Amino acid sequence: MGEELFKAVIEGDDKLSAESTRKLLERGLAPREIISSILVPAMRHVGELYERGEYFIPELIASAEAFRACMEVLRPHIGGLTDVPVTGVAVFGTVRGDIHELGKNLAVAVFEAEGFQVIDLGVDVPPERFAEAVEQYNADVVGMSALMTTTMLEQRNVVEELKRRGLRDRVIVVAGGAPVTEEWVREIGADVWGRDAFETVRIVKEMLVKRRGGARRSPA
Amino acid sequence: MSRSDAEEIHAEALRVLSTIGVFFEDKGVEEIVVRAGGVRRDGRVLLPESLVEDSLKTVPRRIRLYDRDGNLVAVLGEGARVFNPGSAAIRILDYGATEPRSPTLADLKNLVVLADALQGLKAQSTALVPADVPAEVRDVVRLYVVLKYSSKPVVTGAFTVENLPLMVEMLASVREDYAEKPFAVFDVCPTPPLSWSTITSRNLVDLARLNAPAELIPMPSLGATSPVTIYGALVQHHAENLSGIAISQAVRPGAPVIYGGSPTMIHPYYGTASITSPEAVLISLGYRDLARLLDLPTHTYMALSDSKQVDYQAGAEAAYTAVVASLAGFDVVSGAGMLEYESVQSLEKLVLDNEAVMVAGRLTRGFDRDPAATQALAEGVLEKRGNFLALKHTRQNYRKEIRIPSVWDLEPRARAARQALLEKAHAAVQEILSTHAPKLLEGDQLEKLDNVLAKLYRQHNLKLGKPNI
Repeated sequence: MGEELFKAVIEGDDKLSAESTRKLLERGLAPREIISSILVPAMRHVGELYERGEYFIPELIASAEAFRACMEVLRPHIGGLTDVPVTGVAVFGTVRGDIHELGKNLAVAVFEAEGFQVIDLGVDVPPERFAEAVEQYNADVVGMSALMTTTMLEQRNVVEELKRRGLRDRVIVVAGGAPVTEEWVREIGADVWGRDAFETVRIVKEMLVKRRGGARRSPA
Repeated sequence: MSRSDAEEIHAEALRVLSTIGVFFEDKGVEEIVVRAGGVRRDGRVLLPESLVEDSLKTVPRRIRLYDRDGNLVAVLGEGARVFNPGSAAIRILDYGATEPRSPTLADLKNLVVLADALQGLKAQSTALVPADVPAEVRDVVRLYVVLKYSSKPVVTGAFTVENLPLMVEMLASVREDYAEKPFAVFDVCPTPPLSWSTITSRNLVDLARLNAPAELIPMPSLGATSPVTIYGALVQHHAENLSGIAISQAVRPGAPVIYGGSPTMIHPYYGTASITSPEAVLISLGYRDLARLLDLPTHTYMALSDSKQVDYQAGAEAAYTAVVASLAGFDVVSGAGMLEYESVQSLEKLVLDNEAVMVAGRLTRGFDRDPAATQALAEGVLEKRGNFLALKHTRQNYRKEIRIPSVWDLEPRARAARQALLEKAHAAVQEILSTHAPKLLEGDQLEKLDNVLAKLYRQHNLKLGKPNI
């Protein structure tokens, strides 16, 4: 059964993934076990297939969607499990005025697969909402996506809003999206250039380890 | 495409608009479309066929494009082939550099002066986004530089809602009859699939209100923001253009609109958006046929490259797309100088692309019947012993028949300066920048333009230092 779910996620079959997850729950497997021993290894394998050039983006997205479908099934069951160790809490959203979510969704899936508790704020998110979510969930990471040169200006406003509320130094700020460059990230005072989701999560994890001296944390 | 193919896609796009509809981020614009006959359903607006067909009755079929001084440059809608530099690059690649850097106002001025001198480019664009200008006013400052340093018409666009009216005010400060004799067109990009953001939709509304030409730029990306098939992307692309025309005509029947686009092929592995891939070019050629079916002016992004360097790939992509655009008869062709998925400009490449555009223009011009050909042949063979160089017919006709390249490497080996083509292009850039004297905006016009610039800075609570441009 675990193999079926592992394979379904790798093959990007969202319906079968959700169904397999439900069956595993019914058989009494703990949500934490499903995540750590099946879903996370499956997504890591997908990442390896991509790194090796065997998987292209359409396969990557399909697997991310399958992973999300599993998480939807599991979420009601993991709400109370405060002992589940998480890598960190990340708040993700597409900035105000922008309604693209492809890149953001991929980042959400990859961060979740790497053990982050991700708060997905959706699209067209104003700076205030990012900042409120950081406070509300005691986030470690803020990921803001923008697809257009017009909307990437909003990323600066998010950083400014975090500064205004004294939250900027508490979080690692990731700026991603097609027009976003390393220089722009520096200019607006963000921390990480989200060139691709896998590289970004690696950098963020390294930064978190440095900040905390290697400790994982419990979810807020 | 055949006419029946085009009619089929047009019909499919109308079906898409009346059944799937369009999403408006801005509820004010949504209300405009609803008042014109759009129907709200589940957060989207369905555009009935009658609404779209009515807008197609009032949208102008021809747009006469002028220069800053009021001289006619081209009639858009008749295969005008107005090539211009690719716009809004966020980086510039210096000669000899391997990594691009952020451009400055001084870079923009140089690019504008260069484009002013290059004969293949009939128009300018606001080609660079200067990083040394506050982000809130970058769109408008770009236009200021172009208007000041070149009289060629300009392809531009706004990054915010509030700046667009100021950009049009700049046009009015240069020439009050900017609407009757337009010398700027504004790019307006719907958000694929079938959505309009607040900025672009309100820009489109303002352009219609101010009677300034809007250039619609749908951006389907195969398999990412549109169906993966060229046919499917084309249906979406056409529907988005039709929705733009519907918005524009709902605001002001007769408002000028150009049917354009920036289709791309998303690389399945890297996720990069290739605009010169054959699939993207096929979409462009497809929508050219759709625009022709409706007898509308057209725009495309060609004569550009996705390469990161000014190399073989850059030359191949820019040249092949320049020839395609020219032979296909697009009215506005944006892209010259551009590298790396429409994000990096290069002055050297602009010079080389100008050459490619001139070659494309020569190919398109074709040739005429020559009634004196037989007589010339007789004289050449019987009197000059095959030496046609000595013929008067040659002397009289060669300059109009043969386009003499200015940068291409065609010198004999013995005379060649042993310069690589890129070095020659760089030398040409240096030569043009040191000798070309563009027709500058002066006197009252410049004073009025400066006043609008000062107003822009005031509106954003920014301090306008002494302009260094």
